Amino acid sequence: MSVAAQSERGLAGVRSERWAPALATALALLLVLAAAEIVLDGAAGRSALIPKSPDISAWLSGSGERLGFRVFLIALLVSTGAYGGLIALARRSRAVVSTRSAIVLVAALQLIVFAGPILLSTDVFSYIAYARMGVEHGINPYLHGPAAIAADPVFKYVGEDWIHVATAYGPLYTLLSYPLAPLGVVGALWGMKLEALLASAGTLALTWRCARARGFDPVAAILVVGANPLYVIYGLGGAHNDLIMMLAMMGAVSLMIASRPPAPSGRREASAAALVVAGALIKVTVAALLPFMIVSRRRLAPILGALAASAVGAVIGYAVFGIHGIDVIAALNRDAAFVSTDSFATEIAHLLGKPGVFPVDHDLLKAALVVIVAHLLWRTWRGYDWVAASGWALLAISVTSTWLLAWYILWPLPLAVVTRDRRLLLATLAVQVLFILHQISPLLAPVK
Amino acid sequence: MSWAPASLHPRAVELPGRRLWLIETSVLVLVGAVLAIATVNDLGRETDINHRLVADLRTWRQYTHHNYQNVSIDQETLGLGSEREVLCGNTSAGPPGAKTQICLGIWGPVANGMRTVHGGWYLPPYRPDIPANRYGCFGAAGRGRCPR
Repeated sequence: MSVAAQSERGLAGVRSERWAPALATALALLLVLAAAEIVLDGAAGRSALIPKSPDISAWLSGSGERLGFRVFLIALLVSTGAYGGLIALARRSRAVVSTRSAIVLVAALQLIVFAGPILLSTDVFSYIAYARMGVEHGINPYLHGPAAIAADPVFKYVGEDWIHVATAYGPLYTLLSYPLAPLGVVGALWGMKLEALLASAGTLALTWRCARARGFDPVAAILVVGANPLYVIYGLGGAHNDLIMMLAMMGAVSLMIASRPPAPSGRREASAAALVVAGALIKVTVAALLPFMIVSRRRLAPILGALAASAVGAVIGYAVFGIHGIDVIAALNRDAAFVSTDSFATEIAHLLGKPGVFPVDHDLLKAALVVIVAHLLWRTWRGYDWVAASGWALLAISVTSTWLLAWYILWPLPLAVVTRDRRLLLATLAVQVLFILHQISPLLAPVK
Repeated sequence: MSWAPASLHPRAVELPGRRLWLIETSVLVLVGAVLAIATVNDLGRETDINHRLVADLRTWRQYTHHNYQNVSIDQETLGLGSEREVLCGNTSAGPPGAKTQICLGIWGPVANGMRTVHGGWYLPPYRPDIPANRYGCFGAAGRGRCPR
C-alpha cells in the first residue's frame, strides 16, 4: 500500500472517529423521541393500538394526539433504523458509545415506557384477572377463564379472545401475581408494570455480567437488548411476563458461566438448572435451555438441581392449584393450536395459496422443531456453545409457532449477545425486522 | 463424569466442522430467504386487502349517501378468502349500532375506487349480524339469509 493510500485511510478513520460519537448521539435521541411520541400519543386516549385500560397515564395526556397506525408505524420504523445504526456503531468500536451514555439511554427508554399506558396488548389484564380470580373470588385460574369473574372490575379490560381461556402461565408466576390482586385494578396494573421494569433491569444487568465474563463488550450487549424497539415498545410496553422468564434465563446462564471448566461448581450448576425450572414455572418456554445445559456439562449437578426444583414446584403447584396447575402439557397443546396472522406459518400458507394454517401444518412444524432441536443437541454434544444452542432453540420455537407475538422473538436476544456464534444475533434481528415489516400494511394502504 | 470413557467427557472446544458450518449457514440463508419472500408476499396481500376495504367503505357511503366513519366490515359471512365483504352501518346518525343498520354485500373488481353492491339486509339497533336478527333481505347477497 502506498504512503498516500495509507494516509488517506488514516484520515478517513480519524474523520469517522470524530463523526461516529455524534451520529450515535443523534441515533440515541431518535430512539428516545420515537418512544416518547408513542407513549405521549398513547396517553392521549383510546386507539386501536392502546387497549381499553384504567387511565393510569392521564398526567401525560395533554401533550400528544390520539395514537394512530400511521404515527405508530413511522415511530417504530424510525426506532428500528436508529437502533440498527446505533448497534452497528457500538459493535464497531468500543469508544463510540460510552458506558454511561449506554446506561442512560437504556434507562431513559425503559422509564419513558414505564410511565405511559399499556401498549399493544391486553395480556396484562389477563394476568390481573387470573390473580383476582384466585385471591378475591376463590376461583382456580387453571380451571376457568376470566369470564368466571364477569362482575369484577378487571373483566372489562380483558381481551375478548381470552375471556373463556384459563391461564397458560406457570404456577410460580400465578403465585407471584397473587400479592398484587388486593391492590385493585390500578394498583395491580402498576405492580405488573413495576415487575416488568425490574425484571428488565435484572435481565440487562445479567446480560452485562455474562457478556463481560465471556469477553464481549458489555456496552454493546446491553444496547442490543435494552434499546431494542420490540423489547421496549412491545415487551416492556405491554408489561409482559416474558421479561420475568428472561430474568430467570439470564440468571441461569450467569451461574453456568461462573461455573465453567476447569473449576466447575456443582452447586452453581444445580442452582442454574433450578433457576431454569423456576423460569419454566413462570412461562414454560425457557425449559428449552435445560437439555443443552445438561448435555454441555454432562454432570449430575444440573440434573439433580432440575429434578429438585421440579419436585418443589410440582408440590407447591399441586397444593395450591391442583393437578391442572402442573399440567404443562395440556397448556402447551392448547396454545400450540392457536394461529396468529403474524406467524411465519400463516405467511408461508398464504404464499402457497392456502387461506391459512391447516391442522397437518401444526404437525409438520412440530416435526421441524424436533429435527432442529435434535441437531442442536448433537452439536452441543460435539462441543458447540450450549448458550448459542439454547438461543437457536428459542428462535426456532418462535419461528415455527403458529401463534407468534412480538415478545416471543425477544427470547433469544440476550443469549445472542453473549455467544460467539454471530449468526444467532443476525438471525434473531432479521426475524425481528421481518416481523416489523409485516406490520406496515396500514402505512401503505390506510383503511379510513 | 470422571467415571465415564474419555469420549463422553464434555468438550472445551468444539470438534472442527467447517463443512458443517457451511451447510448450516446455507440452510439458514435459504430459510431466511423463504421467510423474507413469505413476509413480503403477505405484506402485498394485506395491502391489496386494505385497498379493497377502502373501495368497500367508499361504496357503502355512496350507496347509503351517509358519510359515516363507524361502518363494520365482515369478511367471513360471505366466505373467508372469497373477497366478498359485508359492511354494516347505521341508517341514520347516532352512535355505532344505535340505529337500524343496513348491511350490504359487496364484491367484484374495483372500478373508479368502488365495487358493486349485490344486495344485503337490515338489522335492528344493537343487534349482532346473525341470521335470526336479519330482515328485509334483498338482492343476491341477501338471498336465503333472512329467517323464513
